[in-house]
Amino acid sequence: MQFTLINGEKKETKPLKKNLTIKKLLDEIETPLETVVVKKNGEIVIEEEIIQDEDIIEVIHIIYGG
Amino acid sequence: MKCTRCDKAEIIIERKHSGQRLCIECFILSIQKKVLKDIRKQKLIEKGDRVAVALSGGKDSVTVLDILNSLYERKIIDLMAITIDEGIQGYRDEAIQIAAKHAQQLGIKHRIVSFKECFNLSLDEIMASDPSRGACTYCGVLRRWIINKTAREMGATKIVTGHNLDDETQSILMNYLEGNIDNLTRIGARTFPASDNFVVKIKPLREIPEKEVGIYVLARNLEAHFAGCPYSRDSFRAEIAQIVKDLSKNHPTIMYSTLRGFDKIKIALKKEYSPGFNLKNCINCGEPSAQKLCRACLFCREIEKHIHRNKFNANY
Ligand SMILES: [Zn+2]
Ligand SMILES: [Zn+2]
Repeated sequence: MQFTLINGEKKETKPLKKNLTIKKLLDEIETPLETVVVKKNGEIVIEEEIIQDEDIIEVIHIIYGG
Repeated sequence: MKCTRCDKAEIIIERKHSGQRLCIECFILSIQKKVLKDIRKQKLIEKGDRVAVALSGGKDSVTVLDILNSLYERKIIDLMAITIDEGIQGYRDEAIQIAAKHAQQLGIKHRIVSFKECFNLSLDEIMASDPSRGACTYCGVLRRWIINKTAREMGATKIVTGHNLDDETQSILMNYLEGNIDNLTRIGARTFPASDNFVVKIKPLREIPEKEVGIYVLARNLEAHFAGCPYSRDSFRAEIAQIVKDLSKNHPTIMYSTLRGFDKIKIALKKEYSPGFNLKNCINCGEPSAQKLCRACLFCREIEKHIHRNKFNANY
């Protein structure tokens, strides 16, 4: 079980824990929820969305400077 | 979890302040409707207005251009765009290209004007001179000078800026905390200029949270420049932005209530603090100004002095 994380310029494959939500993932990578929009397989999703095997998660930084 | 408007299962936003959950289509519609409603309700734009968007290529100005285009297509307004090249290496060029692309796609008039051509100084040169004020102060004053002059030359009756709810909340708090009551009275959905040479400025996104503007741009698949300005990092505004973001986590309505409260006291504030100064024309550039020299010209002289002094010190 794994998923792909695209965060800005960085792209990596990560092992997938059970019931990993977008919110938990953002906490883990220390990215404040209010400054990003997250896409799962190309679609915008909310923070409660659960990541599935082979998903591609893209973190798009929309707010800078505070 | 279903969209509260249409029952669709895939939702892209949950609004903590209202409990609403929306799918992509309903979200896009809700933003467009809200902005157009605010424009009507506050009479920001009238039929026949010639509207100039201050188009940086960032998410806010791209969003407001996209929404106003619906009025342009229905021939309710004329639409044009102005982009300012402040001269920030490695940051501005991509945004300018994006701005130009959007203007071209809509088939609207577009002017790109640089600090260098207007003041013979880029923002990089200003900041390299080790000036006494922060980058945002210089940039704001010089940018406003260019936008107003260019909009007037293009025959615009309104200037539109992309200020969102976060920007507006930050401005209210900053000016309040600094005791800057004069500036506070000027915050609002539109300006009421004291001179015909100032074009009226309006902020149609003033009640849309910054994050929702970001979601809108991505939901609509609009190209926008998301990078942060390299000079904005240490500003007081950035500190206030952080405080408001932290507060909003447990108090999701805090920005709305700050804005609502401010708009109520502003009426009284304006009565007490109407500045009542006489506008004349700047003796250097001829633009309207409260003093003999407008702030843009004052700043340019200040910086030129700095540059001379630096050269002198380097040589001796
Ligand atoms: Zn819906
Ligand atoms: Zn001047």
